[in-house]
Amino acid sequence: MSFVSWQYALFLPLVALLYWQLPWRGRIFLLIAGSYFFYAMWDARFLALLLTTTVVDYFGALAIAGERQPAAKITGIGLLPLAWLLGCSLFYSTHASIEKWIFVAAAIFPLVYGALYQLLWRLPPEKQRRAFLVLSLCSNLSALGFFKYFDFFAASLETSLAKFGWNPGWTLPHVILPIGISFYTFQSISYAVDVYRGIARPSRDFFTFAAFVSFFPQLIAGPIERRNDLLPQLEKPATFDIADLHHGLRLILTGVFKKIFVADNCALLANYAFDPKTNLNGQWALLGVLAFAFQIYGDFSGYTDIARGSARLLGIRLNRNFNFPYFAASPSDFWRRWHMTLSFWFRDYVYIPLGGNRHGPLKTFRNLWITMLLAGLWHGANWTFVMWGGYYAALLTLYHGTPGLKRLNEPEKNPRWRLVASAALMFAFTLVGWAIFRSRNLEQLAGWFAAFGNWNTGAANWLHPFYWLLIHVLPLLLLQIASWKSRDEVEFAYFPWLLRGLAYAVLFLLVAGSVAPDVEFIYFQF
Amino acid sequence: MKRWLTPAFLTMLTLLVGAELVVRVFFQRSMSGRFEYGYSPTAGFVENADGTVDLVHAGGRPFWPQTFSKTRPPGTFRVMVIGDSVPRGASLATAYPAQIGEQLRATGIIAESFNLAIGGNGSARSEIILRQALDYQPSLVILHADNADEYEDEREYARAQAFKSWHPKNWLMKSLFVRRLYEVKTEQVFWKWVPANVRVLADVNDYGNKALAGENPATRLEWDGRVRKNTAESVALARARGVPILLLTAAREQDDGRGGFYLDDRGMDNLVQPMLGAGVYFLSMKDVLQKTNFAPLFTDGTHLRPDGHALIAAAVVEKLRQEGVIAVRQ
Repeated sequence: MSFVSWQYALFLPLVALLYWQLPWRGRIFLLIAGSYFFYAMWDARFLALLLTTTVVDYFGALAIAGERQPAAKITGIGLLPLAWLLGCSLFYSTHASIEKWIFVAAAIFPLVYGALYQLLWRLPPEKQRRAFLVLSLCSNLSALGFFKYFDFFAASLETSLAKFGWNPGWTLPHVILPIGISFYTFQSISYAVDVYRGIARPSRDFFTFAAFVSFFPQLIAGPIERRNDLLPQLEKPATFDIADLHHGLRLILTGVFKKIFVADNCALLANYAFDPKTNLNGQWALLGVLAFAFQIYGDFSGYTDIARGSARLLGIRLNRNFNFPYFAASPSDFWRRWHMTLSFWFRDYVYIPLGGNRHGPLKTFRNLWITMLLAGLWHGANWTFVMWGGYYAALLTLYHGTPGLKRLNEPEKNPRWRLVASAALMFAFTLVGWAIFRSRNLEQLAGWFAAFGNWNTGAANWLHPFYWLLIHVLPLLLLQIASWKSRDEVEFAYFPWLLRGLAYAVLFLLVAGSVAPDVEFIYFQF
Repeated sequence: MKRWLTPAFLTMLTLLVGAELVVRVFFQRSMSGRFEYGYSPTAGFVENADGTVDLVHAGGRPFWPQTFSKTRPPGTFRVMVIGDSVPRGASLATAYPAQIGEQLRATGIIAESFNLAIGGNGSARSEIILRQALDYQPSLVILHADNADEYEDEREYARAQAFKSWHPKNWLMKSLFVRRLYEVKTEQVFWKWVPANVRVLADVNDYGNKALAGENPATRLEWDGRVRKNTAESVALARARGVPILLLTAAREQDDGRGGFYLDDRGMDNLVQPMLGAGVYFLSMKDVLQKTNFAPLFTDGTHLRPDGHALIAAAVVEKLRQEGVIAVRQ
């Protein structure tokens, strides 16, 4: 179910209304049912995977904390994914909809997991915690690796072998990418690691934990929440506050505006500029990447706003994911402002465990490169994403290694003029990054760069599209400046209520005038 | 204690509801049937209290502004021309409907002629206009018959139906203000500023789709079937009301591949033959034009220059004289 669909417009108020009528336990069950229904609207089969992740990390975290669960309970709950798949198979028209090996995997899972679980308890106590963490990480990463990267690595291996003259002729299964897997897997991993590090308690209630993993506003594309941020809000009953309702609705309006008015309209130009058949010139290369910059920002930050607004209607606060990223003065600053929950995740669970910046410049750069390459790969199974991560690693290296640029990593220590100039420079760097990100392959990327050598076409071909871009970006910029000025995302307390009312009416009308057939959110594919 | 409704929210609500009310109250005329895109029976016809009827731009019908009395003045020969952009012409005065009136008056006949043609109107929407026009006592209806606008008829019908149901996805579009905003953005901004090759990629490409549909023999056959049915219904309607009807079949200029041109009626001349009978007359644009050097008479292969319209008008008057329609109806 898309956040900008009519179904969601009915679903959310219904859930919110019911939610505030129920006692705490009922709310948890409602959230689970609502979240699973929300996910099932895309593909009910993959709920089995979500269930598996939930089971693995629930028992894993308890074991890390030294709490052993009875074998029958583990096997019983471990059978849930299989039961779900069997239930689904009754309603799918063809047996091929769920392949046999998936049933086999789901049937084996409780046995293998149960056996491993019991086996690990036989290890010496000092090794048990680590072993259970490794089990949890391996389970999560192998699911993510298989479903997200199997096709990619298999195809890459085949291409590499072909270069050596060997065509293995494998018949490989085509693996469907379950929506949101990168997000909920990372959330689960952070939960297990935080429990291992002793900075978080494991959840003792399976249903509350299931609601934490599947919480529908952030299930598909984040924000990636930490155990200590989200779980406590689920563990105690929230009290209704009208301010939350107001704030939530404002966030939803802003999010819908960013998605429908900005992103979907900019997408028209970006899709054309980055279509393999398009014969690009300099003007269109620039127009296309500008359009994509605002498309992806509108799309993803719009999604996040709707997610946070939806959660706020339920009295739950989710973390910010964006903080004016295009105003960033340096690459470090950019990653503190763009997809913040993912940046902080990589910082806390990859960069710092690798050693961070504690072991001299060379190791710092090594850690930085590893982190950014992995962050690039996280975005998708394509070499252009890895290259995008590498590009940011190079930028970070440049900014960290050049004294004149290094001071930009701490914006508060710079005069305003320098910040404006460096934000403009960083935006130009960001555009190059988006060209890498948006290109389907290296050949297309090379074509994009080459287009800047051709500025011959007359203005008529790009001037009107440029106006189109301008009318869709200017309101966003005004909104951003207003938010920046009022130091608040959507309240705009800086402005008189009359102006605020007018602004909301204009936002609403801009959205209403741009209603288009459903266009999916970009980050769903990650 | 916080209030449920904040002043800003109330302002927003007041502005939105106010805008909707203004549209519904003060722009009632132009909004009437607006989103029927030519499928409203009465849009564009405004009957005044003084017994006159104004033809206005409304309801997806951009009529040339004209006024006539609801009841035909005694002794007046009233001609109403219905069709697409060809009879509509580049201006009201130079298009053949007006020239028919002038030429009739030049021969001493008390005549008035009205141009009820709309660009892009196919047989279905022409039939709807005819139903209304028959209420205004025409002495003759000229139906400019063509099979080139069925795609537009189909598209506009889909458009008229698009937000009609009470499905939740259409709720926003129930607001006339929102719908008009959406329409303006689509027609005045999207279609004008987004180049065709970008629209093709986004699968929004009207001209391309029309050309593509027209190349499909099955679609052409379906369109011809629809033109046959709707035109026959129009003829039956006119006959039932005792109003003579002249079927003027369209023709366009085609490149013959040898540096010259020929006239193509796209099968329309044959298509209307079975409909002819008492009170139903036929004039082929192809027959009229091919007697002359027709190439300079066209602006773009389909539409005519004023001298082309004059030629058609003269042929119509001659046809009416030959058939005795003028003498009989006076």
